[in-house]
Amino acid sequence: MRTRARPADRLRALQDALAGNARSPALLRSEPPVGAQESADVARLLNAGCAILASSVLADSSMEHYRGSFENKAMFVPPIVSTLALIASLHGASDRSARAERRRDAIYALSAAAAAAGFGFHLYNVGKRDGGFCWENFFYAAPIGAPWALLLSGTLGVAAERVRDTRPGGIPHIFGMAAGRLLAGLTSAGLLGTVGEVWLLHFRGAFQDPFMYLPVTLPPVGAGLLASAALSSKPKKRPLTRFWMKLVTVLGLAGMGFHIYGVHRNMGGWRNWSQNVLNGPPIPAPPSFTGLGLAGLAALRLLEGPKNE
Amino acid sequence: MNNRGPRYPGYNVLDKRDTPSWNEITRKVIDHRLTLDGPKFFTLEEWLTLRALCDCIVPQRSGRAPVQCAALVDHKMELDQRDGFRPPSLPSQREAWRRGIAAINEECRERYGGAFHELTGGQQDRLLRLLEEGEASSPAWGDMPAKVFFKRRLVHDIAAAYYALPHAWNEMGFGGPASPRGYVRLDFNKRDRWEAIEQHD
Amino acid sequence: MTEDDPTRVPRAKNGRAPDVLRVGGWVPMRCFADDEQVDFVIVGTGAGGGTLSCKLSEYGFSVVALDVGPYWRPLEDFASDEHEQYKLYWTDERISGGEDALELGRNNSGQSVGGSMVHFAMVSLRFRPEWFKSRSLLGYGVDWPVDWREMWGYYREVEENLCLAGPIKYPWGPPRPRYPYRPHELNAAAKVLARGCEKLGIKWCSTPIATLSAPRGLAHPCVYRGFCIAGCSTNAKQSAINTWLPRALKAGAEIRDLAMVGRVELDANGRVRGVHYHREGQWRFQRARNVVVAGYAIETPRLLLNSACPQAPDGLANSSGLVGKYLMAHCNQGVYGVFDDEIRWYKAPPSLSLTEHWNYTDEGKDFDGGYAYMSQGPLPVEWSGTQTGNHKLWGESLLRDMERYNHYAGLKIVGECQAMETNTVRLADEKDRFGLPIANVTFAHSDNDKKLIAHAKNFMRTALEAAGGYDIWAEETETAHLMGTCRMGDDPRSSVVNPDGRTWDVPNLWICDGSLFPTSGGVNPSLTIQAMACRIADRIKALAARAEV
Ligand SMILES: Cc1cc2nc3c(=O)[nH]c(=O)nc-3n(C[C@H](O)[C@H](O)[C@H](O)COP(=O)(O)OP(=O)(O)OC[C@H]3O[C@@H](n4cnc5c(N)ncnc54)[C@H](O)[C@@H]3O)c2cc1C
Ligand code: SF4
Repeated sequence: MRTRARPADRLRALQDALAGNARSPALLRSEPPVGAQESADVARLLNAGCAILASSVLADSSMEHYRGSFENKAMFVPPIVSTLALIASLHGASDRSARAERRRDAIYALSAAAAAAGFGFHLYNVGKRDGGFCWENFFYAAPIGAPWALLLSGTLGVAAERVRDTRPGGIPHIFGMAAGRLLAGLTSAGLLGTVGEVWLLHFRGAFQDPFMYLPVTLPPVGAGLLASAALSSKPKKRPLTRFWMKLVTVLGLAGMGFHIYGVHRNMGGWRNWSQNVLNGPPIPAPPSFTGLGLAGLAALRLLEGPKNE
Repeated sequence: MNNRGPRYPGYNVLDKRDTPSWNEITRKVIDHRLTLDGPKFFTLEEWLTLRALCDCIVPQRSGRAPVQCAALVDHKMELDQRDGFRPPSLPSQREAWRRGIAAINEECRERYGGAFHELTGGQQDRLLRLLEEGEASSPAWGDMPAKVFFKRRLVHDIAAAYYALPHAWNEMGFGGPASPRGYVRLDFNKRDRWEAIEQHD
Repeated sequence: MTEDDPTRVPRAKNGRAPDVLRVGGWVPMRCFADDEQVDFVIVGTGAGGGTLSCKLSEYGFSVVALDVGPYWRPLEDFASDEHEQYKLYWTDERISGGEDALELGRNNSGQSVGGSMVHFAMVSLRFRPEWFKSRSLLGYGVDWPVDWREMWGYYREVEENLCLAGPIKYPWGPPRPRYPYRPHELNAAAKVLARGCEKLGIKWCSTPIATLSAPRGLAHPCVYRGFCIAGCSTNAKQSAINTWLPRALKAGAEIRDLAMVGRVELDANGRVRGVHYHREGQWRFQRARNVVVAGYAIETPRLLLNSACPQAPDGLANSSGLVGKYLMAHCNQGVYGVFDDEIRWYKAPPSLSLTEHWNYTDEGKDFDGGYAYMSQGPLPVEWSGTQTGNHKLWGESLLRDMERYNHYAGLKIVGECQAMETNTVRLADEKDRFGLPIANVTFAHSDNDKKLIAHAKNFMRTALEAAGGYDIWAEETETAHLMGTCRMGDDPRSSVVNPDGRTWDVPNLWICDGSLFPTSGGVNPSLTIQAMACRIADRIKALAARAEV
């Protein structure tokens, strides 16, 4: 039995964690310890999520930057980095070892850094256009939200390595914070950020199809459920949250299906692919949700404790 | 600038004929346009004048204007495809062209002793400037003002025919037919791979 | 030619009409017999007639709409070719004279089911509210007999029907709801306008435009092919042919293509009996309780004048003598310049950005009225017409300048034109293919127009320069759109129709098109024509409820 942490304790714990105090007691105490196999499994699930995020970024950024004629050398960075992240993630997903891998770690850190720089570039691109930070430029200049998926792939990847590093019987933690909570929080924020990007683009498309509302309504609920899981101190079963993460996972794949259909129903259909793949709905974008759904499930496993408990 | 080569070397919009840039009806009408080659409306004599006029209005680096230019003017007359209006001083287009060509040749004979197509390039040019300035004097013009004919029929119809030809689109780097496939890249200095590449010097 | 040649054989008959959204498709159509007295015969199916056909049939009236033009299926009938697409324009002869003779045909007159909107450039702007009372509020022109607030509601209805793509926030005028669809990406030509405005410190915005920025039903979004004024083979363009008319058919209207109305007939009591029309090689007579003429500002007065009879020797509805008078066009001068950048203005709809600064600013003007200006994107044949006409090029200089096509950008006004009684549509002696006297059009600019044009050219020149253009030149003469000739008003002596669109002289004869405009405003007219048609439909419904129709 654990006592419920009071908000003040939690806050202090958070401060401690941010200050780099690795033994932040309140936060760690609230999560169940895991065995070596379990931590590797959770890490592999995270790696799988990262792989999906990275492949979404790879396809999307290649397409969009091809559309932008690779005008700037820096535009080659996201396809290259996401390729590396994809390789690292696939490697991680098939790696049963319970130790972090330095090269994977480095690649993930690199992609997160590249994504952060990407935000800067995209922001600059929007601002420098005539009209500055106006709706039209947010719609059609470099998409502000696009580097988000790469950032998530990178940070979740780094987190996966930390989880993998957990001592057998220890409590997984990441830079001093309880890993389950942190991952749940991160995934929740990731979902919300992705929803922001989707909202912008679906708003640009005037929500012309009612299904376009799904990705801006379902994931926020999931984000809320995950956030509440992150903030609660009880390691209890959360079937609804788990269900919702599965829903989000499926939503990403369904979205891809919708977008494939969307390309087909533009002028000339698939015969006119050279235009419609670029101007129609981006096919590789929706699976970001699948990646995040998997990350959410991984977070839940840490929060809920081992399956058979 | 005059002796520089084509701006869009190697570009031929006809290469796109079988791509998604052209739809069925476009293929049909352009194919047909490219088969036009001789007079159906104009007499042979008029045709010679018309071809010489085309060479002056849309002169080519490599000699004569494409025959389809004159042929398209002829085709417009044959079918009597009108513009939908005309100035009060001009008769309907067929009559205007017939009378106009006759008057031009008359004007040429009076001034230079030969029909328009028999004149030297310099003489042809001078004669056209004369028409443009409204200084034609042959009685053959009757009540039709040469200046109005020059602007509204002669230059207008020939230029409209020439710029309806793929040949002219290549010179301009115009994308040509574009349906079902249009364009993706719309910004400054951006082009899709199915657009013309400009030669920068 | 093949059997299914819509220019020779009518498509809308035997209980079906073309489905404009499907290749080879059909939709069912209710058909009326000639001797059946329908509630409304509508002459013309464009912005005015098409809209009214839809609204009246949805209100339960029986409607037969006649148009001399063919019934196209854009997906299969429209080539990507300017020359071929002349088939959309009114190419029957007209005589056009006067000091500033108007260019007709391609420039402003359509002949298709769907009217001139089939090849319109889709710019869809609301009037500035004050223009409806320009005499009282701004001191020029005449007042419209309608209130802007009423029109504001009808504008909205049309904007929704056309699914306009427009800016999130429109920078001028009273607030309006958000446009149904989001704005399009700007092409380089539109960005040139934006740059100029930013440099000169005036507002600009992306154009509210009737082409889809996202799918809608069976209609595809715009593919930026730029052939808009040669007809949109994508169906992205939202106009009468693919919005109002399909609705009209569904509501039970009959549309007759290739049907030329030659005369509206009056009975002995001076009421309309029906119309004589020519279809499939013969003259027929359709009986009707009401006739609405919606043939646009030249054909509407022409039909009224051609319908002269002993009861109305000067033409129908012409007791004021004003039928065919006060013809207006918009001043439409362009200023063009060359840029080092590749612009490639053939891509995307021609006018994706605009500024209404000089419509909403009254200071610093030495003229009455206002103008908007917009970005440009002429295709080769049209551009060669500008180069040979206004730029006066031919020969070597023409070819060399045409080669700079991809480096040109331009700005063009839609400028308010003052109505003058001396600008007219009359009948000529010459006859058309149906044996009907053709129109003789006379037009000259007022002094005020000339001042407006000078101001605009000056300003746009500065704007183009500021945006980096050089070798700048301006068009001398150029007009767009047609308005007036059957003006609406409060007084039977100074107008042809009353505020309901009903002619003062003949109670069951109505007019519903661009010819109603008492003033022209500084914006493209079709949104206002359609809004007015919606309003007239509501007036008719209200009057019918009181048994006054
Ligand atoms: C190239 C071009 C670009 C344009 N761009 C814009 C733009 O961007 N924005 C804008 O607001 N407006 C634009 N316009 C103008 C707009 O299209 C017209 O103002 C509008 O369509 C006029 O509507 P209407 O109903 O008065 O006439 P129309 O739409 O012309 O309809 C009249 C119809 O009546 C038919 N008709 C006429 N007489 C008879 C008869 N006797 N019997 C049978 N049928 C008859 C004709 O065939 C025609 O189809 C443009 C016009 C052109 C030509
Ligand atoms: S640019 Fe758009 S609206 Fe214009 S013709 Fe092409 S698809 Fe239609």
